[in-house]
Amino acid sequence: MKKIVLGITGGISFLVFLVLLLVSNHLANSQMTQTAAERWSRDGNVSQVSCFFSVGSGITEDEIIEFEHTVDGVLTEASVVSESENPGARLWADAYSADGQVTLSNDKTSLTASAIGIGGDFFLFHPLTLLNGAYFSGNDLMKDYCVIDEDAAWQLFGSNDVAGMTVFIGGVPHIVTGVVHRPDGHLAEAAGLDSTVVYVSYQTLTELGESHGINHYEIVMPNPVTGFACNYVREKLGAEEKEVEVVENTTRYSTLSRLRLITEFGTRSMNGKAIIYPYWENMARGVADILMVLTLFGILFLLYPVGLAVVFFCIWWRHKGWTMKDVWHKLQDFGERRMEKLREKRRAEKAHKAMEAEDAESEKIQEEIPAEQEQSMEESRPVSIEEEFQAGDAPEEIRRKKRRFGQRRRKD
Amino acid sequence: MNENGKKRREWVKTAAIIFLSVMLVLTFFSNTIMNYSLPEVATQYVESGTITAKIRGSGVVESGNPYNVEVSESRKVSQVAVKVGDQVEKDAVLMYLEDAESTELKEAKTQLDSLKAEYDRAIVAADTSANIVNRVENGNVTSTESKVAQIDAYNSRIDALQNNIDAYNNRIAEIDAALGKLGDGSTDTSAEQQAVNYAQGELTKATSWIETANQKLEAAKGVLEAVNSAVQGAQDNVAACQKAYEDANAKHVALITRQNSLNKKVEDGGTLTEAEQNELTLLEGSISAAAQEVTAAQEALGNAQVALENANASVETDRADAQKKINEAQAEYDNALTAKTTWEGKLADAQRNLANKQAGVSGGGEREALNNEKADLTLSLNKATTEKTDVEKELTDLLAGFTKEVDLSALLTKIADQEKLVKELTDKSVGATITAPVAGTVTTLNVVAGESTAPGTPVAVLQPAGKGFSLSFSVTNEQAKRLSVGDVADLVNAWRYDDLKVTLANIKPDTSEPGQKKLLTFDVDGDVTAGQTLNVSVGQKSANYDLIVPNSAIREDNNGKFILIVESKPGPLNTRYIATRVDVEVLASDDTQSAISAALYGYEFVITTSTKPVEAGKQVRLAEN
Repeated sequence: MKKIVLGITGGISFLVFLVLLLVSNHLANSQMTQTAAERWSRDGNVSQVSCFFSVGSGITEDEIIEFEHTVDGVLTEASVVSESENPGARLWADAYSADGQVTLSNDKTSLTASAIGIGGDFFLFHPLTLLNGAYFSGNDLMKDYCVIDEDAAWQLFGSNDVAGMTVFIGGVPHIVTGVVHRPDGHLAEAAGLDSTVVYVSYQTLTELGESHGINHYEIVMPNPVTGFACNYVREKLGAEEKEVEVVENTTRYSTLSRLRLITEFGTRSMNGKAIIYPYWENMARGVADILMVLTLFGILFLLYPVGLAVVFFCIWWRHKGWTMKDVWHKLQDFGERRMEKLREKRRAEKAHKAMEAEDAESEKIQEEIPAEQEQSMEESRPVSIEEEFQAGDAPEEIRRKKRRFGQRRRKD
Repeated sequence: MNENGKKRREWVKTAAIIFLSVMLVLTFFSNTIMNYSLPEVATQYVESGTITAKIRGSGVVESGNPYNVEVSESRKVSQVAVKVGDQVEKDAVLMYLEDAESTELKEAKTQLDSLKAEYDRAIVAADTSANIVNRVENGNVTSTESKVAQIDAYNSRIDALQNNIDAYNNRIAEIDAALGKLGDGSTDTSAEQQAVNYAQGELTKATSWIETANQKLEAAKGVLEAVNSAVQGAQDNVAACQKAYEDANAKHVALITRQNSLNKKVEDGGTLTEAEQNELTLLEGSISAAAQEVTAAQEALGNAQVALENANASVETDRADAQKKINEAQAEYDNALTAKTTWEGKLADAQRNLANKQAGVSGGGEREALNNEKADLTLSLNKATTEKTDVEKELTDLLAGFTKEVDLSALLTKIADQEKLVKELTDKSVGATITAPVAGTVTTLNVVAGESTAPGTPVAVLQPAGKGFSLSFSVTNEQAKRLSVGDVADLVNAWRYDDLKVTLANIKPDTSEPGQKKLLTFDVDGDVTAGQTLNVSVGQKSANYDLIVPNSAIREDNNGKFILIVESKPGPLNTRYIATRVDVEVLASDDTQSAISAALYGYEFVITTSTKPVEAGKQVRLAEN
């Protein structure tokens, strides 16, 4: 009874582990801001790297552009070239963004919202759910586009279907290219998505809004060897260690990273850098913490059935009714029997041929048959092995237990 | 045991039935269930149409022709009556000034005083008559017409006198001509005169010829003289040598004689004195020296004689030549003299002929009358000339008077103006204002209450109503590349403005960011005011494209840009929709759409948005609408 209970709990524990594994993998894969590399290349071997700059780092657009100009060179050096047939294909894409605040207004009302001023292909890294319209890119010809969330759309227009409408930012008309769904939930709200967010070009934010300067940079680029992209970015943009935090997004939720996070327990909350994380990084860090806990529990739930299985195995091993010698004998026996069968077959053929032959030969064959029959009869009997065991020194009691155990096992 | 086995079989049966029915239900509804797990996508047709890339921008309307309101005085502003942006009518008060005697008033007063002094000085300096001064001061200044009339009268008088003088002169000339005719007679002496002249000319020629001939003769004689003098020189030399020889010889002889006398004295047994002994000793040497001298003189004489002979020999021919030339010259000279004499005779004849001819002329009493008339006319002429001179002097005086009058009255006018200015400024110094010179809008105010105005600096700038405006903003180089001067811009919110025309006037580098930005300047015509912000969009002409998709349909990965189209695959129960990747190249984009080039037929459905990430090759569910 005790064994059954233990067995059931072990099974349940293993199931719980599987569920936790599935849940954590799903959670990790659902973080769209961390999986740009997967979207960028189906073949793998690309990596997404994010940089977060402190408020005082003073990084400028020019520095970013300068960095962008070096990327192609380093990729060529690492002999990474585009193999795509599409002439417009790029090996890498990047985006930078700045936090700030803008005031949007139209004829009816005005709204002050926190804003993200973007440059480059921001929405490639942040594929927010579009309710209407399209994203825009920092590389577009015009810089007077904006993407607003459904809250802002509701407050300004009373509708979500507002792509192509005009709003005024600092008196300059901007075109709403799309309306996005703002991620909700406890984590998102805590991460900073508790109020309206609008996305404008970096130029708009600096010229017409209130900007805190470029504080995030993201790039997705080929990663020919592990850590290549991350190290390159860190070397070029993260020289001031106190001012910059470089994160490799692609591997941040791998099992290894999660285990490492467990080892960092306690120290992870310490922060010596004046970096304000954007909402997506806050969410990613929150998810990382959750995953860490899930992984920890997963390990615990896995440990229990594994331990149980080991114990059971040991017990079974200790109480097994056979030795390795038996296995050897049995295997020898089995081999011999196969040989005999083959021989018999051959002999039967011969006999068939000799049916017309003389009796003297047939007599000789019949002498051998009873001996063989006797032997095979002995083998077919289930007790025959036990009887053989009896020849050993083992006491009667143990032998009986063994037999019973063997029978139960056969039944199972 | 049997009971137990039966129960177990029942249970197995129930479980199997439940399992099978669940499987059956799942099989039937599998499609529906799967459908709900698929990403739902919104699609749109690939279309053909136009793409117009527009450049938008905002700028503040600035005045093209500002009107600067300036004041000539530096005065303290007590109150500003308008604000920037106010519309003002002409003569509306812009500012009130504090009461004060301005520096300009003080200056004006000083200038008035100096003008008055200048006026007095002008009267004294030019010795102006009291008449003129009175006239000017009473304001009875001769009018320009009257001046012109007076001058004209004088001029006509002068002209009339001049005519008279001319008439007299003509008549005198006629009389002179008539007298000339009478005096000349009717005989023609020109041929004789000509003969005289010719003879005279020939005579002159002959005279000059004599002169040259004489010169030649003299020259020839000179040559002969020179030849003769050479011979003479040689002869003189011979004579001199001869004389030297004779002298030397005589000396020699004398010395020998002395020696002989001394020797004889010795032979005679006489004794010689010491002096005579010495002399005898010396004589020995002297005699030999004298003998040498004689020899030398003889030799010189021989030489001179040889030279003389040579000279005589050579001179012979020279002398003959010279003599020949002299003879020729002499002949020529004689000819000339003969010619002269001949022509002198001829001239005398001609003169006589002429005199004879002239002697046969006649005279008359008519000449007397003409001479009398001429004398009368000359008298009248003198009188008229004197009169004309007087009139001209009078005219000059009149003109001088006029000039003085004009000068004085100009000075007086200046004084009057200055007095007026002083009065105005005095008036202005209390309760003065600055008013708008034109109707328009106040765009700038440069002073506030309490500040002083500065002459020459505008206190306010007005935008006159109905004048041109401009608008400018900067764009990136990339954007500027798509524009050209002359492009007409649209207003973003055009419904607010009537008949406003905005045209791109020029594109130049933005001085604040020269390398990266360009400054666009537009001309704005229409009903706007300075300071107003306009939002304009300007761009190329739209181009036609065969394949146009919404911007949201364009996706990108490391294989380049692509779109996902929906392909339908009919199945036994329903149609399945598969998202299929098509690589594209974006040709042009505007705010909402992009033109692409891709291997498409033009009627495909392209995925714009989806509820979940869609992967190429995966099944999708179409949205209800």
